[in-house]
Amino acid sequence: MHTERLFDRIDSIQIKGVTKKYGSRFAVKELDMEIHGGELLILIGPSGSGKTTILRMINRMIEQDSGSVIINGLDTRKLDPVRLRRNMGYVIQNIGLFPHMTIGENIGLVPKLEGWEKNRVKERVQYLLDFVSLPTDLFFNRYPRQLSGGQQQRVGLARALAMDPPLLLMDEPFGALDPILRKQLQEEFLKIKMEIGRTIVFVTHDIEEAFRLGDRIAIVDQAKIVQVGPPEELIFNPATKMVSEIVDTERKFKHMDTLNVKDLMSPFDSKYVFDSKMDTCDAVNEMTGRDLETAFIFDNGRLLGRITMVDLMKCRTKTQKLADVVRPLKTFQPLDSVAFALSELKKSGEYLALIMNEDRPSGILVSDEVLLKLI
Amino acid sequence: MVVLETVLDATWEHIILVYTTLFISMLVSIPFAFASLYSKKLAFFGLKFSNLVQAVPSFAVVAIMVPLIGIGFTPAVIAIMLRALLPIIKNTYIGLSNVDPELIDYAQGVGMSQWQINRYIRLPNAYPAMFAGIKFAAILANSIAVLTAFIGSGGLGEIIFQGLIGYNTKTLLAGAIPAILLAIFIDQFFTLLEKRFTRSYTK
Repeated sequence: MHTERLFDRIDSIQIKGVTKKYGSRFAVKELDMEIHGGELLILIGPSGSGKTTILRMINRMIEQDSGSVIINGLDTRKLDPVRLRRNMGYVIQNIGLFPHMTIGENIGLVPKLEGWEKNRVKERVQYLLDFVSLPTDLFFNRYPRQLSGGQQQRVGLARALAMDPPLLLMDEPFGALDPILRKQLQEEFLKIKMEIGRTIVFVTHDIEEAFRLGDRIAIVDQAKIVQVGPPEELIFNPATKMVSEIVDTERKFKHMDTLNVKDLMSPFDSKYVFDSKMDTCDAVNEMTGRDLETAFIFDNGRLLGRITMVDLMKCRTKTQKLADVVRPLKTFQPLDSVAFALSELKKSGEYLALIMNEDRPSGILVSDEVLLKLI
Repeated sequence: MVVLETVLDATWEHIILVYTTLFISMLVSIPFAFASLYSKKLAFFGLKFSNLVQAVPSFAVVAIMVPLIGIGFTPAVIAIMLRALLPIIKNTYIGLSNVDPELIDYAQGVGMSQWQINRYIRLPNAYPAMFAGIKFAAILANSIAVLTAFIGSGGLGEIIFQGLIGYNTKTLLAGAIPAILLAIFIDQFFTLLEKRFTRSYTK
């Protein structure tokens, strides 16, 4: 048996007006949401909020009562469920490794059912075991119960990747692990996520996990999605009290690792730009005119550093150029974490840094302002 | 005095009778156990019926064959089968239905069909219980096959009864000892088979 590929990559998953009722209780109520191709979307909420139901409606393990789930323009209800599921990877909390099969057989099961020849299955399994850092010769012929929880979870991930699916559905994959192991696996998973670059829908109830892994986070409560957005949006603009409680917006500094420099910087303005060949005297007048205390010095578009008004006052000789008085300046990337940037600033004794996007300045980070925004 | 050849012939008959019955019992029981997974009613009646037959004394089951079907090999097979069905059906059904629902759910989630789930997940998970049932059924069949000599099935029972009737200890032992050896052999044989099929994950 050979299942045709339904999609090589996910462009979008649209969930339109989806409702699922159990008896008189809504598990999901008139849900509208779009999952973008290539993103890791987190579904988070209290237990019974409907997050797992949403996930399981994507692979039709649960059928919605009304509304539709559309993947790349294809309505999932028009597809054969077996075929649909063969095009997705699936990871669950309790891992669900088959106890009567070796690790190799577990990972290679679906390829085998797909009619791959033995050698191809074996090669694929070896590749995947290597991918999740489990040495093939040690693990290929072992049985699941001979493995630790963390190792089993790695096998679970390798198994989900067996058919190289463009979409991964993960239902609290790290939920059953102890906190230390969970952190470690999250770190490894982040690396894997970068490498594979596929669309992932990830259910969790751990907000720290959500912030660490998610590109966007959907907060689910009482069968509805309350807010969807990147971490910084949830932290700075929580839509409801419930969201701010989940995110703990009262203590924003907790999220210094999650927040990026770009979330907290002030926008850059061309008025800060001065040319390195300008005379210091002219610069003083110019800076006064533009109402600046600090300016950034560029030499043909290349950043040299910064000057302050105080520096210019100290050394006033006619022939001096700005290039002669410039002092070095810290720069960061927009996606550097705030915690990293602040600690670097502290080390260098500076209070201000320029945020460079590639070679172009995009913002200014001032440590005092950052702290004000976080409190 | 019993000739060795007679004993060997009887032993061979006995083995044929036991294994034919066992084979047919498996052919009936295992599909029945699978069918019971999909119908609670079938499971209920199947288990009730085989429980009931189990409660009737073996000798009575053998005897009742005579007015119903007559004597000979076939009635003997049916009589033994009625007793051998229960352990196989019951154990296979328990083995199949006791698979962690989470595993079945996961199997569906990765796009396995019902047939594939039965073949690759349920059946191998049921092997340990199933083999215990088959082993028990084989031992039962071996002992009842001695009784069916009364209704003309042949086998070691015939020699044992001759010995009993004629107060001939030698004849009696010539039948009883191979029957005991056979029982031990069956037990060992199925234990070995069980080990091969269920491999190391049960240890």
